[in-house]
Amino acid sequence: MIIRFIRNYPCVNIEMAHIHLGEGSFPLWALALWTTLGLGLIAIVTYRIRKNGVDPNRIALAGIAAAASFAIFQLNIPVWGGIHMNFTALVGILAGPLLGTIIALVVNVFSAALGHGAIGLLGANTLVNATEAVGAYYGFRWLRRADWDVFPASASAATIGLATGSVLMGAIIVVSGVNGSALPRSELTIAVGGMVGLNLGVAVIEGLLTGFIVRFLASIRPDLIGESTEAERSETAGVSA
Amino acid sequence: MERWKQYGGLLGLLVAFTGVGLWGFTATGGALPYAKRFSKALQRGTHDGGGPLVDLGRGIVVAGPIRQGGMVLEWLGLLALLTIVGIGLYVYADRNGPDDGRRVSR
Repeated sequence: MIIRFIRNYPCVNIEMAHIHLGEGSFPLWALALWTTLGLGLIAIVTYRIRKNGVDPNRIALAGIAAAASFAIFQLNIPVWGGIHMNFTALVGILAGPLLGTIIALVVNVFSAALGHGAIGLLGANTLVNATEAVGAYYGFRWLRRADWDVFPASASAATIGLATGSVLMGAIIVVSGVNGSALPRSELTIAVGGMVGLNLGVAVIEGLLTGFIVRFLASIRPDLIGESTEAERSETAGVSA
Repeated sequence: MERWKQYGGLLGLLVAFTGVGLWGFTATGGALPYAKRFSKALQRGTHDGGGPLVDLGRGIVVAGPIRQGGMVLEWLGLLALLTIVGIGLYVYADRNGPDDGRRVSR
């Protein structure tokens, strides 16, 4: 009876590049696939952290970033019909790609424990959110190396990182298929495309917000975003002169 | 890079994504809560709809699964725990961490 209920009314609720379908909405092979890929990603990240280590200051920052991400994850704001943000791009820029991936896992585990997201989809959701963090981090570094200012670099990188996560989210749903949906794959793809499109609009809001936060942090503690302070810059210039 | 190019690039990106977002908003039913939007979209396919993009009357609310599941206190507890651990780690690293920011923790 429960299965029939799920099949007739799939408890589908996906917000801001975070899949929280009800348990049983993905076929078993898809659950196994995304869980395996998610575990593989976490294994690689853990290995790299163990091998290369991380700056203790960054670990501390990751703790605070995880709290901020977990808080914003659960708040629904009245824009675009009602959405929540993730701050995964901000987490990626501040904590880096390795810790950003770990934070994505931690936030998803806690959220699923509260009923916000299925436990069976932890692998898929970690993949999606880690993509956002990693994309934003490398995008930000790349734009900064191209001599972009902090605000346009962080806002652009965050928006693109979040958009990449949204596209991955859509791809995961289309590849997996949804139990209970009578739509053929082509129509399902169009419907999911509409949701991905909406998520790009949400990425604009979160991207701008991330840009403002990173710009503010850069003005008071540039070391938090991996940049040198004014004093260090003058010191370096003095040495090299 | 010149500043107008940076901000022009960002503006172009935001305008393009907002346009796509508007299409997605309309095509998936307009001003609907996400759960309803998605169940409709995945069961019946795309269907046009409208409504306000911003609905201040709705306010900022805790996510439905937590609110309806009566888990708000648990959420606040977890949030407090994460915040305390995060700030604790930050203070610890600030007092005992490396001076040059290059030492690594294994």
